[in-house]
Amino acid sequence: MRSSNRNIILYIVLALLTGLGLGLAYSWLLSPVTYVDANPAMLRTDFKDQYRIVVAASYASSHDLARARARLQLLGDVDPVGQLSALAQNMVAGNASLEQVQPIAQLATDLQQGFSSSPITDTPFVVVVNTPTEIDTPSAETFATETQTILEEDTPIPTLAFDQTPLAPVVTSTFAPRPTFTAIPASGVLFSLVGQDTVCDPGLQPGLLQFIIMDSRRRQVAGIEIIVSWTEKEDRFFTGFKPELGDGYADFVMQPDVIYSVRVVEGGAIVPNILAPTCTDPNGVIYTGGLLLTFQQP
Amino acid sequence: MKSSNWITIIAAIIIGIGIGLTYGWVINPVVYTDVTPDALRADYRADYVLMVAEAYQGEQDSETAARRIAMIGSESPDLIVTSSLDYAIANNFSQNEILLLQGLLTAMQTYQPQPVNAP
Repeated sequence: MRSSNRNIILYIVLALLTGLGLGLAYSWLLSPVTYVDANPAMLRTDFKDQYRIVVAASYASSHDLARARARLQLLGDVDPVGQLSALAQNMVAGNASLEQVQPIAQLATDLQQGFSSSPITDTPFVVVVNTPTEIDTPSAETFATETQTILEEDTPIPTLAFDQTPLAPVVTSTFAPRPTFTAIPASGVLFSLVGQDTVCDPGLQPGLLQFIIMDSRRRQVAGIEIIVSWTEKEDRFFTGFKPELGDGYADFVMQPDVIYSVRVVEGGAIVPNILAPTCTDPNGVIYTGGLLLTFQQP
Repeated sequence: MKSSNWITIIAAIIIGIGIGLTYGWVINPVVYTDVTPDALRADYRADYVLMVAEAYQGEQDSETAARRIAMIGSESPDLIVTSSLDYAIANNFSQNEILLLQGLLTAMQTYQPQPVNAP
């Protein structure tokens, strides 16, 4: 009798486990929950990058920083600026063109500083003036509530579109100079080398060539192209891809005993004979140091 | 074995299936983290196409716009834009946004993909 009861319990347990297995197999394998209404945060990494590129391209046209920020928030990034910077760096490493990388670097910079640094739109057809409506919920429905005014192309009113940040003024249809505005240099004004310092820090990468690019008011400038050349090779990169180190910061790793020349593309002259210095630590050990080049507009 | 025992076992199987389904569908369903853009909800799709339209307004590059639109579906770009335009109109997008989408739709309707030359 006792054995019979034990068998029954065993059968019940086995039956329960069998049923559980069948249920799980059906719900996980045969008919799993399917997502047809996914949000951008669920996208695969490469599609997220493509999404960021389109956000940046859209921002380059509209200069609507609040909307660009809201759209990036849809991706669920903890550090949207860092993600954009990493994407820009990857694109540069993948030999993407300036036209492809520039909008991403510009959006990263503007998100970092909190306002649009290129508020005057150059779109050829319509000019959009956004009313300062705060966008909290980044959905298409919310976007649709924005009040917008369309001006024709030949309306000669300089048009500004700002993010609602403490630094930015309210939207206006007249051009108002702002003391905190902007780090974009005047085109054609040369950057000249104002400092060349040897950096002996064993904690830094050996041969690290650091750049700081500043405008005439000593504010760091993002998006400036730098060319480093050596023995029939060259590397091109831009300031602003590491905003945590400054908008005007860029760096490059030199090889020991290789002579480089450096040029800031924005009308700059060539700085020749750049060589990684040798440094000595307190124990007398020799190691390859770095250089800090500072360029500034006069 | 008694018939009552068989009933008990079948009941246990059914209970097990119920527990399995509840666990697999409700408590711990399959989590999708790497979905493709064609699974985006309609409003996100419309906003994505609107972004492409905004970018197209500045760039005037039909090929780039078509490539970006192709990311969110296998239909032809003009059909995807048409669908987004319908959504925009039905959901009271602003006039400017609708104009942008219409501009992109016109570009996609007239866009001819460049033939790829064989090596």
